[in-house]
Amino acid sequence: MAHDVTPPPEVVCTSLAKTFAGGTEAVRPIDLTFAAGRTTALVGPSGCGKSTLLRMVAGLENPSAGRIEIGGAPPRATLRRAGLSVAFQDPSLLPWRSVRGNIELALTLARRKAGASEIDQLIDLVGLDGFAETRPAELSGGMRQRAAIARALATRPGLLLLDEPFGAVDELTRRQLAQDLPRIWEARGTTTILVTHSVSEAVLLSDRVIVLSPRPAEIVADIPVDLPRPRPEDAARTEAAGALIDRVFAELSKGMAASNPPLAAQ
Amino acid sequence: MTNAAAGTGRPLATGRRGAGGYGPMLGVLVLLAGWELAGQLLTEAFVLAAPSEVALYLVRDWQLMSRALGVTLGNAAAGFVIGNVAAVALAGVALLWPRSERVITGLALLVFCLPLVATGPILRVFFGPGPGPQIALAALAVYYTTLIPLLVGLRAAPDSWFDLVRSYGRGPMSALVHVRAMAALPYLFTGLQIAAPAAFLGAMVGEFTGAERGMGVLTVRAIRALDVEMTWGLATVATAVAILAYVGIGALARRVLLEAPPVILAAPAVATGRRLGGWIDTGLVILLALGGWAGAIWAFGLNPFFAKGPGDVLDALVFAPDAAATRATIGAALAESAVYLIPGYIAGLLAGAALAILLILVPAVASTAMPLAIALRSVPIVTTAPLIVLLLGRGAVGTIFLVAVMVFFPSFVACLQGLRQAPGQVMAVFDSYAAGPLARLVRVRIPAMLPAFFAAARMAVPASVLALTVAEWLATGSGIGSLMALSASLSDYDMLWSSVVLVSALSALGYVLVGAVERRVLAIYAPEQLA
Repeated sequence: MAHDVTPPPEVVCTSLAKTFAGGTEAVRPIDLTFAAGRTTALVGPSGCGKSTLLRMVAGLENPSAGRIEIGGAPPRATLRRAGLSVAFQDPSLLPWRSVRGNIELALTLARRKAGASEIDQLIDLVGLDGFAETRPAELSGGMRQRAAIARALATRPGLLLLDEPFGAVDELTRRQLAQDLPRIWEARGTTTILVTHSVSEAVLLSDRVIVLSPRPAEIVADIPVDLPRPRPEDAARTEAAGALIDRVFAELSKGMAASNPPLAAQ
Repeated sequence: MTNAAAGTGRPLATGRRGAGGYGPMLGVLVLLAGWELAGQLLTEAFVLAAPSEVALYLVRDWQLMSRALGVTLGNAAAGFVIGNVAAVALAGVALLWPRSERVITGLALLVFCLPLVATGPILRVFFGPGPGPQIALAALAVYYTTLIPLLVGLRAAPDSWFDLVRSYGRGPMSALVHVRAMAALPYLFTGLQIAAPAAFLGAMVGEFTGAERGMGVLTVRAIRALDVEMTWGLATVATAVAILAYVGIGALARRVLLEAPPVILAAPAVATGRRLGGWIDTGLVILLALGGWAGAIWAFGLNPFFAKGPGDVLDALVFAPDAAATRATIGAALAESAVYLIPGYIAGLLAGAALAILLILVPAVASTAMPLAIALRSVPIVTTAPLIVLLLGRGAVGTIFLVAVMVFFPSFVACLQGLRQAPGQVMAVFDSYAAGPLARLVRVRIPAMLPAFFAAARMAVPASVLALTVAEWLATGSGIGSLMALSASLSDYDMLWSSVVLVSALSALGYVLVGAVERRVLAIYAPEQLA
């Protein structure tokens, strides 16, 4: 390998809250610790504040209150060490660069080096072999999202933040990525925070699922996922996984009902 | 400042080959044939030289013409470089210090609105003999048309690209190098493409003011001698240079860029949500302009007989014994000009929009008309003004037509592109209901066109003032353009400077007023442009 993996940090959020300038409260004070080297999924209804929480951890949004420590330091210090990568909901590929060029840009920004073969491996891993020199405009939405995932992995971050990374990916590729990506971040021991709408994806990919309420986000449930790894493609059909998925659904529904009582009850 | 409608356009829209690839050639042939026929029919009228006569003239006098062309090209190139470097530097300052942007664009607008007709003679007195005024006017003609698209381009990247840079801990410099500079390139090319013919125009106007050599000198000589062949020969060469510059930069853009930029709709700089901030900035712009003006006179030790400061102009217009007479003279000249300007401006805008709509309804015509329109928008007004007035007479028709022509092409190009930018998904919805072309035009395309239409309308304000003042100066002998030229030749500098101030202020005011209407339109039809 051309460079070392950044050691996985623990992420500690203390009384973390966000209210936007217009007065919209996105996140209520939250205390949350993301364990080093583990994968945590954040699930919640659309617009509940999941992405805002992720952006605060990424240092892209300033909290209104509380603090975040990544490996004992504020997010900006982690950013400066380039120990963090984000795969955004919008792939954010620069249109004038090829897939390879976009990945190389991340390495340049992170001041890291990777060999051509390592970049090729990542491109293969996300199923884009043969598209390394293709520009984003010629790729489908799902392919762009996969390129963005490859870019996020290229800098070998200690902390990987994934904001609905499979939103536009087709079902088959999604299944394949759900098999391949955990292998990488487990092998590297990356601390991973995954924001997703998909309950089964959250259960299959993570070691722990945090269920958030509708906006403003509050923690509704903190559910450990103790399914054995590696988790095969059909793991979602096992009884244990099914029970976990049902539990996450139930907590989500409770959260929704609490903030939006049925019309008949109003 | 040829057709400074800047803001419109793909720089790359010319020269496409393929099924309709002979449209442009057909268009040129039709134009030449019509011109030849008209030239032969009007031989006795001494207003129009046919292309064959122009060609003969150019072959006969090629040495004279090529010498003059070389001089003007040199001046235009120097001004082009200086003006564009200044535009890039100003855009850099605005980017590094966002608070300064509105002041920078406000000052830039004021300078852009200065009537070339008057600044030429003033610069001649300032620089003395030599190429100074030519280069300065070329630079002044280009910096604004580059600055505005560049400012838009530097911000034309989605926030998520900047988030990406920040997520790796990198700052504004990395964002500039990796994101902004590349994202701004298409916009820079659009600006440069409009700037190239404008630089040539600026250099020619500079040469009118007492230069020894150049195309401008020959133009004045040809007009005075009523040499129809020479006038048309100069117009042809100037047009060819302008078109070549436009097409050349377009070709370079095609090599460098992946795709053409969308229609550039630099939202008007003045009047944002922060009303108080807007007034403070406007006040600051006026103060800086007055301070810079007085400071330049003092710093260069200019002769007070010719160099009039803000106090002198105030005196001439308000306190001097003959202030009422000065005001009356300028007021009468402005009123005389307004009679031609306003109908010409509105007619040009509406005609441009109407033709664009027609081409959408009858697309077969577009492949011929579009390249012609793009070419003709590059024609230097200085050479065409006397010709149009020669053809249509010194009365209302000729002048209104000239202003309308100046406004027509930018409006046409902007509207056509705006009409084509109708969102595909919305069009698909209309398709699914089997809606006819008229329903699609009225309900989707025209609303989608409005932002481009108003951007063109805003940028056309100073351009139309330029067209009018040049026509009045060179041909009709009436209105404010003529008054400024007359004041310069009679060394009535109080009158000249007062006229310059009023014309610039009115021009800027017109720009701001159209901009205010544009903001209301954008708020409904393209709210993202105001973000």
